[in-house]
Parts: sequence; C-alpha cells; structure tokens
Amino acid sequence: MGSPAKQTLPCTAGIGLRAPHYREVLQNLPQLGWVEVHSENFFGGGAPLHTLLKVREHYPVSLHGVGMGLASATALDEEHLNALKLLCARVEPAALSEHLCWNHTSGMVIPDLLPFPYTTEALDNVVRRVAHVQEKLGRQLLVENLSSYLSFQNSEMTEGEFLAELARRSGCGILFDVENLYVNVRNLGVNAADFIKAIPAESVKEYHLAGFSERDGCLVDTHNQPVYDEVWKLYETVLHHLGPRPTLIEWDSDIPQLPVLLAEVEKAQHYLEVCDVCITG
Amino acid sequence: MSALQADLNAFGRAIVHNDEPSFAITGNYQSYSSLVAMEIYRNNYRGNLHDVLAGAYPVIKQLVGDDFFRFMTRKYIERHPSHSGNLHHYGADLAQFLTTFEPANSLVYIADVAELEWACHTAYFADDGATLDIGRLALIPPDQYENLILHLHPSCFVVRSQYPIATIWQSHQPGACSNFHIELDSGASIALVNRLADVVQVTEVAADVADWLDFLQAGEPMGSATEATLANYPDFDLFCALQRLVTQQLLTKIELREKK
Repeated sequence: MGSPAKQTLPCTAGIGLRAPHYREVLQNLPQLGWVEVHSENFFGGGAPLHTLLKVREHYPVSLHGVGMGLASATALDEEHLNALKLLCARVEPAALSEHLCWNHTSGMVIPDLLPFPYTTEALDNVVRRVAHVQEKLGRQLLVENLSSYLSFQNSEMTEGEFLAELARRSGCGILFDVENLYVNVRNLGVNAADFIKAIPAESVKEYHLAGFSERDGCLVDTHNQPVYDEVWKLYETVLHHLGPRPTLIEWDSDIPQLPVLLAEVEKAQHYLEVCDVCITG
Repeated sequence: MSALQADLNAFGRAIVHNDEPSFAITGNYQSYSSLVAMEIYRNNYRGNLHDVLAGAYPVIKQLVGDDFFRFMTRKYIERHPSHSGNLHHYGADLAQFLTTFEPANSLVYIADVAELEWACHTAYFADDGATLDIGRLALIPPDQYENLILHLHPSCFVVRSQYPIATIWQSHQPGACSNFHIELDSGASIALVNRLADVVQVTEVAADVADWLDFLQAGEPMGSATEATLANYPDFDLFCALQRLVTQQLLTKIELREKK
C-alpha cells in the first residue's frame, strides 16, 4: 500500500483528532501533517474504526493509548494488549505511544494517568512491561512524560532520569509532552532545564502541546485551552536543545471549532521551521 | 507485597474509597497542599467515569436530567469500580443497578431503556460481520434449507420490555420531535438493535420474530428455529422474517450445517 500512513510521522505539526471534527476533516481535508487518536476509542472495530480507516487514507495516523497503565504493579492486561495489536494490524500507525503512569490496582482500573514513585523497583517493572509490549507488537513504543499533582517521598530519581533510563534499557522512544513538563514545573517545582538535560535527544520522537486549567492553586492537565505563552516559550527552549520533532496540538474537552486548532497547528509549524537547534551532547 | 504494589494500592484506595493516603507523599507543593492534590485525583476519577456513563447512556441522562444523572451515577460508581483499561466496557451493569435504585423507582421503564442503550453502545463498537454472499444460497438444494445456519451481524441485539422502549429511545434522539407523548400502558415492546452504514438503529420487532432471532443467535439451524417459533406462534411468517434479515442487513453468512 502506498498510503501515507505506513511512513513514520513527518516532522510537522498535527492535531489530536476527536469525534466532533471527524466529518469536517474528512470533507475538507485540511492541510495537516498527521493526526493522532486515542487507541482505545477504536478497540473492537465497528463504526469508529471505519472512520479512522478513511482518515488514514489521507493522513499518517499516530495511535496514542491512555489505558495500558505501563507502570502498574500488576500483570499486563493481555486482553488490552491483544486489542491494541489487532488495531495496529488494521491501522498500520505511523507512531504508537502510551503514558508513563499506572492505572491497574488489586482488581480495579482507575481511569486516569497516575504518578508513582521513581524507584529502581518501579524502573525494573516498567522496563519489563515496555519490553513485553514492544515484543508483542513488534515495534517501538513511545512513552510520554506525565503531568502530576503530587510526588512521592521515596522517589530515588527524577522523572527525567527515570525516562532516560527507561529509553536506554528498553529501547523505547520518548514522547515529550512540553505542557506536562510545564505543569510539573509550576506544581511540583521540577527544574525544567534539568529535565531537558536528562532526556537523550536521539530518543525523542514526538512532542505534545496543550492547554491546562487551574484549581485551588494547582495546574490541571485538562487540555481545554489554547497553548499558553509560557508553554510556547518552553517549547522553543526544548526545540533548541533536543531538535525539531513531529508536534501535536491536543485539545480534549470544550473542543473548539476546527479552525482554532488549525491556527494552533500553524503556530507550532512556525516554531518548528524557525527553531535554532543547538544540541549539546 | 512489594513496596511499589503497597504504594499504588494505597494510592488507589485513597482515590476510590476516599481513604487517608497511607503512602509517603510530599505534603506541600508550590502553591497547594497534598489535600488539594488528592481531591483533584478523586474528582478526576468520578468525573471521568461519569462522562463515560453519560456517553453510553444519553437517553437515560435526558430522561432523568443532568443533576439526577450525576447523583445516580455517583452511587453506581461507588458500587461498581472499573475493571478495564478500555472505558467502553464501563457501565455494563447500569440496567441491573437501576432495577434496585429506589430514587428512580417512579420511572418504571428506566432499567429497560438502560438495557436498550447498552445494546446500542455495544452495537456501535461491534466488529463487522462477514459480507453476505447471497449467491451461495442458489448453490444449496431447497431440501437442505432446514439445515442452514444463519449468522446474524455482531451488532444485532433484541431487548424486551413491558414498556414502549423503542418509542422512548427514538423520541430522545437528536432531531426528534420534542413534544412527544408516550402511553406507558401501550403494552410490551421488543426493540431490535443493529448497525447499518455505521449508524445504530432501533426498530420494533414482533414477539415471534424476536424468538426466532434468539434461536438463530443460539446457533439453531433455520429448520428447528422455525419449528420452535411456530410451536408458540402458529402465524409466524418465515418469508417475512427472512426478508427483514436481508433488508436490515442483519444477515452476514449462510452456512450449511454438516450432517452428523
């Protein structure tokens, strides 16, 4: 098949494609480098998958999972993994990603992206699970840094160090969410420069940008706003140190009209084109 | 139990059951405390599951109103944690829950409507069946018709109720006339759910056809399914029922059962 979806993601800006925009995107085919969708929304097939396969005829598609819970301290959910494998076979995505978080605990699944202590025990656990996923799916997984509202006192390393070590040991790629880093800087006092320095540039395969909201002094990763100036500024810094990569605009609630998203894409595209890269080893 | 498991289990209980966090979290952050952080996770948990239920049960939400829906789903969420990383699996027990949920007792049909909505939700995500090759039928000698196995589309569901649930469902779809009037004592109805050209549709079906569909879905060959239906409904019209299977694209595959 000569469709664009089999290629890797182009180093341009794309959007998180959500249900309210399916029809308009398929009708007007706006100029977009690529699109990303949440993998689980297409599990099982049916009507949603038909739409995705139409989209895939025109754009490279990235599958972004929110339900695997890579850092859970339970056995991997094989049923979930099988559903993802089947979806990958059908969609042939240009990229595949999950979050550095957990969700399974003693018989329950918590539908959220939850932080965990960055210990060597946790690292061994995530390395094992990521390796298993990559082996089963026969491809590289990108793992995304998390936005957190709390931190554990027993952490033995920073999230950046954890992610770098995970990439080194498992061979996974890194999906660098710039807004998540910004949220952690403001909430937890994470040092952005240290985080960027910890991340190996060659492992970074994708960036995410989004908006957040504020609740009782805490920034919450709600994806319901335009990208804020501070996040654009941080993105510029990240581009400078790690280089340009495919960049996604995420907007998941209070979803605006498509032109608003496309304007954000254009802005990201501009940053990608003018970025002054200075990768220090 | 490993240290990691203990931490995550405690974090999970603190979110789901409002327990005091017994794991070692930092107490104070840049401009808020760990109490605020825990409340955000608890709200996310309830909010995410509420939104999932609102997505799967839009008619129930309209029938009871947003505030009651929030109250009702909060009780459901307390009793039914999620068990899957795929949130489209969440909410399967809502109809069962509503049969014993006293605050909603006055809406006698609500559990049946919930069952119908779950069938619609499942039909939307159901896999595609095979594409029917009607030409195969011409290759089968008519004296073998009784041995035909008729495979129905995976999105096909039959839901029975004492109330007119198909009408209630249809009158709460986008664009439906809003000043409807439903006669609750208009009698039992049976709803047939299936997906056609990516759209889930609900139609009514007679009791004899519904029973016949049940027999087919249970894997009975056409002959014995029809005989069993005729035993209860002597007027059952097989030709009409077959026509419906074809026009509603409920039929995906025709197979001749191997003789034992």
